[in-house]
Amino acid sequence: MELYLASMNTSSDKTTDNEQAAWNQAHDRLRDFLNAFALGDHAQVSRLTLKLLDQAREQHRQDPSRDPVSLAMAQAQKLVQEWFAANLEMRDQAPSELLASGCVALFLSRAFRSAPERFLTAPLPENLKESMHQTLLVTGPDLKISSMTPRHLDYGPMLDLARRTWHRWNPREIVIALIFWAGVYFVFYWWLSEAL
Amino acid sequence: MNTSFPETAVAVRRTLFIGGSTLLTATGFALLLHSYSGQPVFWTDYIVLALFPLLFGQIAIGFLLALFGFCDWLRGGDPFHLMRQPWREREDSVPLAATAIVIPVFNEEVQRVSQGIENMWNSLKKTGQMEHFDFYLCSDSNEPDHWIEEECAWLHLCQKLDAFGKIFYRKRRHPINSKSGNVADFCRRWGKRYRYMILLDADSVMSGPTMVRLVRAMEANPEVGILQTQPAMVLGQSPFRRLLQFSNAVYGRIFSQGCSFVQRSSGSYWGHNAVIRIAPFIEHCDLPMLPVPNPSRRHVLSHDTVEAALMQRAGYEVWVAYDEPGTYEEGPPNMSDMLKRDRRWCAGNLQHFWFLFARGIEMGNRLQIWIGLMAYLCSPIWLVFLVAGSIGAYDRARFLAFSAGPEDLGAVQHPEAPFLFIMTMLLLFLPRLLGIASALPRTKQFGGFFRLLASSLVETFFSILIAPVLMLFHTLFVLQGIFGWQTKWTTQNRADTSLSIFHCLKLYGWQSGLGIAGQLLAWFYLGFNSCWLTPILVAWMLAPLSAWMTSSRGLGEKLRAWGLFVIPEESQPPAELDGLVAQNDEEAQPAAPLWPQALLSPYVQAVHLSMVRQRSSPRNGAKPASSLANLRERLVQQGAEALEQKEILRLLWDAETVFWLHEELWSRPNTRLHSSWKPLQSESGKNALLRHYMIAE
Repeated sequence: MELYLASMNTSSDKTTDNEQAAWNQAHDRLRDFLNAFALGDHAQVSRLTLKLLDQAREQHRQDPSRDPVSLAMAQAQKLVQEWFAANLEMRDQAPSELLASGCVALFLSRAFRSAPERFLTAPLPENLKESMHQTLLVTGPDLKISSMTPRHLDYGPMLDLARRTWHRWNPREIVIALIFWAGVYFVFYWWLSEAL
Repeated sequence: MNTSFPETAVAVRRTLFIGGSTLLTATGFALLLHSYSGQPVFWTDYIVLALFPLLFGQIAIGFLLALFGFCDWLRGGDPFHLMRQPWREREDSVPLAATAIVIPVFNEEVQRVSQGIENMWNSLKKTGQMEHFDFYLCSDSNEPDHWIEEECAWLHLCQKLDAFGKIFYRKRRHPINSKSGNVADFCRRWGKRYRYMILLDADSVMSGPTMVRLVRAMEANPEVGILQTQPAMVLGQSPFRRLLQFSNAVYGRIFSQGCSFVQRSSGSYWGHNAVIRIAPFIEHCDLPMLPVPNPSRRHVLSHDTVEAALMQRAGYEVWVAYDEPGTYEEGPPNMSDMLKRDRRWCAGNLQHFWFLFARGIEMGNRLQIWIGLMAYLCSPIWLVFLVAGSIGAYDRARFLAFSAGPEDLGAVQHPEAPFLFIMTMLLLFLPRLLGIASALPRTKQFGGFFRLLASSLVETFFSILIAPVLMLFHTLFVLQGIFGWQTKWTTQNRADTSLSIFHCLKLYGWQSGLGIAGQLLAWFYLGFNSCWLTPILVAWMLAPLSAWMTSSRGLGEKLRAWGLFVIPEESQPPAELDGLVAQNDEEAQPAAPLWPQALLSPYVQAVHLSMVRQRSSPRNGAKPASSLANLRERLVQQGAEALEQKEILRLLWDAETVFWLHEELWSRPNTRLHSSWKPLQSESGKNALLRHYMIAE
């Protein structure tokens, strides 16, 4: 009986340890994720981490099969999207677009530095909301397409010469050319030998 | 052609130049021929005779350009030059026009580029003419880290300078045709919005007043298609870069002035630090394909000279504003980087051979192409000349030793040989003296008269030491070009990083071997007559040492402290160069890769998504291609190191994938993630580079 209880305790401890490790991992992940927003207020990161962790624990109680990290991060990402949607009044956008627009707006408005305590918890003040609305990334102005194509260029005699060489690689011509240049060389040699 | 300048004067200048160089070459050739009189002539002598005019002609051309430049400088500059014409009197009333400042980049040091843009922006702002100018950072970077950093830097710049809608960023997905393709891409997309573009390299900087003046020059002279400036080389820390920038400051000016004197409105274009009239550039200057059978070799690698020729063919003028201040660039920091650049330039210049005989190209451009070609072809010619000359000398010595009577021995003494030697030395070194003379009124800017003199002496010594090393490498590059080995547009290293001695031994060690073997052979066969080869052979022997020493940043700092190789931009630093000196971070730890932050950091990811979303085709919930899905999974399970550059780029170009990876990398438990992601997650809010761009107030 004691043995049985001991084995029961060990198994239960292991489960608890694993679960604790998973929740620790979820905590660290949430903290890293929120730190990535570079909030000016570190306490706000801690508060949000614990809040999201509690929400995840609540959900985990209802569905213990789900992994704590995934649960916690799903909570966090949902909260981020909802907060952006509320502040930017962009309800119908796809999550990826909402996240991109929201993060760009948050970054450019510098709200993460000027009002970090409101991040994911409360609506931003109207002036910051306004500045978030105004942010728009223009990577390039409207296109004004031109056609830029090369004009014909006559490469002249060298092209004719080269084409003939490429297209008619004739050993006979090479032999003739060699004889010709050998002749030129010997004439030059003779001339210099005699003249100098 | 400007109406105030008589046509005949152009002809006189060109006749003087071509006639003068022909006359000098003919004189040298005659002296050489006479030095052979009464002597046995061997087969190698014919090689020497055949090659001599080509080599001597190049020296004569260089000498004459310097001489013309010096004479022009003495009289206070060419009064008929574009930048001295009557429009200058009413310069301030010349209206400006929409101008794009285009900066093509390819894996360049992003912080340096963005600091340069910031400085130019501030300088332009002071002119009060900012409304006429827009900046375009056109990227072909294919390293994911550079790409992501460029996006962050662009956003940082726009925010810091309140420049949204004035500074633009464009990343090409398919970087075809290298830099010229990048510029053409800009022209096709936005060229119509602007009348001019100021084309800069990643390391170029121009002051606001200079940009304004250049645009006004173009506006006042509608016949001008390209106006090229002569950028000062600046910011050198290593001895090599300091040597280059010093010689550029002292001798470069008179050469450019001489070129401009001869070429006038058919000047050179170097592909950067120039203003271009966009409409004719679009219409006439797209590069033609080369008529070679191999399709992969049809693209013109070195575009600038060809573009200048095409612009002139279309009836527009090309000018060099050789004495405009406020235009800067950086040189290669060490010999290895210069060789990397030369390899590219050599391949490009060799291709220009096709344009030498093309119809419709102006004489001035043909001359330019010829000089460019010979700049590299001279190296193998010089090498063959040296070998043939040495064999000839050996043959002659042996002939005289075996068959000489007293009358034959007397024949060795030829008064022409010393004359020829003196003439060659004069042609080689007189331009340097002229350069120093032209710098005399500004000796203070060079650290004083004695320092200027000492710097010139040391620079000359190093030039003598480096030239033979370059000759061998250039010979290799020419052979590579002729046999068609591929040359890519590689990034120029612009940081003054020292070379390791192992690198130098590996890259230049063979030259040492060649130098020692050559010296032994020369002593054995030629005896005392081998003395004339010694400077070359010693330079080969010392090649690793020269490369190593000239790259040493520590030595560069000492030279600076001793006041050697000081240039005017160091004596009176212009504001446009503030903060551009590369920090000495040789002992810094390599930074963590930045591109994974495009998947992790919410801000970086958002910026990246905003950039690529418009250009990735939405799948509307459909599954990605299986290859893409596999890549995603591999990245998550095996870490960032598991993917090749090409695969990373494919992932980063797909907006849906970027978002999917963002969610997965944050949501998956550690057991389903590669261990390398954990530190990257933790680093997401702490990355020093990200904090510099994104967080800094």
